[in-house]
Amino acid sequence: MACFNKVSPALVEILNRLQSAETPTDFDHNLHEYGSARYNIQASASNPEIVNLSIWMPPIYPESSSDCLPNCALQDIRNLYFDAAQIEPPKQGFMLTLRINFTKLPKRKDDRTKAITEIGSLQSIILMSQLKDMLWNLEPKDIGSGIYKPIKIAYQPRDPFFIIKMPEKTIVIYPMRFGDDSDVVLATSFFQELIDASNSAAYSKAPRCSWSPIPPSELRGESFHCLTTNGGFVSFEFFSQQIKGIKAENTVRNLLNFIAYVKYHVKCTRGFIQRKMRQRQESLTEAIRNARIGEEDNGKQQNGHKHVKKLMNFSKSKVLKRRKETSAAVESLKGVNRREEEEAEKESLLPSEKNGAAPAISGRKKNGSTRKVQWNDNKGNNLVEVLEFYPSEESDSDDEFLDSCFCIIM
Amino acid sequence: MANTLRLYLTCIRNTLDAAMCLQNFPCQEVERHNKPEVELKTSPELLLKPVLICRNEAEKCLIETSINSIRISMKVKQSDELENILAKKFLRFLSMRAESFQVLRRKPVQGYDISFLVTNYHCEDMHKHKLIDFIVQFMEDIDKEISELKLSVNTRGRLVATEFLKQFI
Repeated sequence: MACFNKVSPALVEILNRLQSAETPTDFDHNLHEYGSARYNIQASASNPEIVNLSIWMPPIYPESSSDCLPNCALQDIRNLYFDAAQIEPPKQGFMLTLRINFTKLPKRKDDRTKAITEIGSLQSIILMSQLKDMLWNLEPKDIGSGIYKPIKIAYQPRDPFFIIKMPEKTIVIYPMRFGDDSDVVLATSFFQELIDASNSAAYSKAPRCSWSPIPPSELRGESFHCLTTNGGFVSFEFFSQQIKGIKAENTVRNLLNFIAYVKYHVKCTRGFIQRKMRQRQESLTEAIRNARIGEEDNGKQQNGHKHVKKLMNFSKSKVLKRRKETSAAVESLKGVNRREEEEAEKESLLPSEKNGAAPAISGRKKNGSTRKVQWNDNKGNNLVEVLEFYPSEESDSDDEFLDSCFCIIM
Repeated sequence: MANTLRLYLTCIRNTLDAAMCLQNFPCQEVERHNKPEVELKTSPELLLKPVLICRNEAEKCLIETSINSIRISMKVKQSDELENILAKKFLRFLSMRAESFQVLRRKPVQGYDISFLVTNYHCEDMHKHKLIDFIVQFMEDIDKEISELKLSVNTRGRLVATEFLKQFI
């Protein structure tokens, strides 16, 4: 359900376009808002400064006329718009026609925008005037045995509510309907809080609130369709001082907005629950991820081994310098290895002095070469391979020891 | 943590510790198939007696063990309608994201709110003690989350209600 908005954005946009149009054109546009209000906007190319705005709304309660507006509403419109919009005889099929004269709007841009926005709030002005008038002037209708006739307010046809005018107080009852069971539960917990708050001393001046899952006795005799709900019935008790004077406008606005307010709260609460659940899911997923074997090691590797971390911090010049040195060292190492290999081959091919089978190691021991040992596999390939890695990033570390890295893969 | 909850969780932890000694076991009925026996229940000799651990009528945990898999089903406390809705929403939310938990069953066993299925492959992939820690933490977290959510929903409701009433003053 759409929230009862003070200003109709579509109407304001159309009026803004019309008043700032460079080339005047004939304009006749019908606009439906929330399925209940109907606007007609007319402008002619011959007189672009004049726009006729007509509006039709369903009667706020069945007893009121759908053809014309009550005097209080007309008076409110006159007071608000002054010369900028004059009331004309209503166009056929509409309840009110306003003749808007753009030349009489303020010249300053901000004031002009404000004036157009006020014209855009025509529906809310009419609605609020009608409801105020009803709350003030409607006489209580006793239908016998102390029961007063409820008045059905259906400005939103899907979500009507009831006003029961009594001599000393006015009761407003909202049948609450929700699409989902979870919404009903969330709304019920909200109603409980609303009742608690309205009963507290701090809100003694606010209307008393109550909730009942079954229709209150005041609605006895209403149609079954109106009394079928899944969210129960919320009632507010107003005393005369709460619906008169300065507070009247706020009260009327809150009354018109209550159902939308509750539904919006329920929607926001659902979003909040979803957010919380997502957060909890993340923490639980993290727990199961950590349970995997090797996940800890991976985590450590991601954090980085301290040597590797330092290796990443080298300047390019240092890297190049060290690369030269290390490549020379590797070359010399390779040379030594090759020589040792040849010697080992010779040793293995030559007959031994005593046993006839001298191992390569003993031969190397004889030569005093104990620095590097090499093993070959059955096919004669190296079992040990020396690989050299250089960091891909440059940095300014002074640790020369860590300028390069040797990795031996067995 | 309440004493009763601690005892309940310790009991579950010890039972899981004892029950979680799974091994690879191919299906006896179909050749070259390897299925969790606890789900199929085709060979009674491969199943152990299920263990039911109850904290109270509303909170219980069923541990069903077989040679190559173990199924843990839980019933979460739902003392009122709001808790019921929150628990339903939360457990449905987690079940729909079961692939992130690996051991979570998409559909709970009848009569329970959520079920886990741990197979021998999970035990090979994960540390046993951490897996048990996860299940126990999961149970703790669900209780905590539902209580927190209930509290938050009520607090939000109170705030919204007072804001609404303030407009009349």
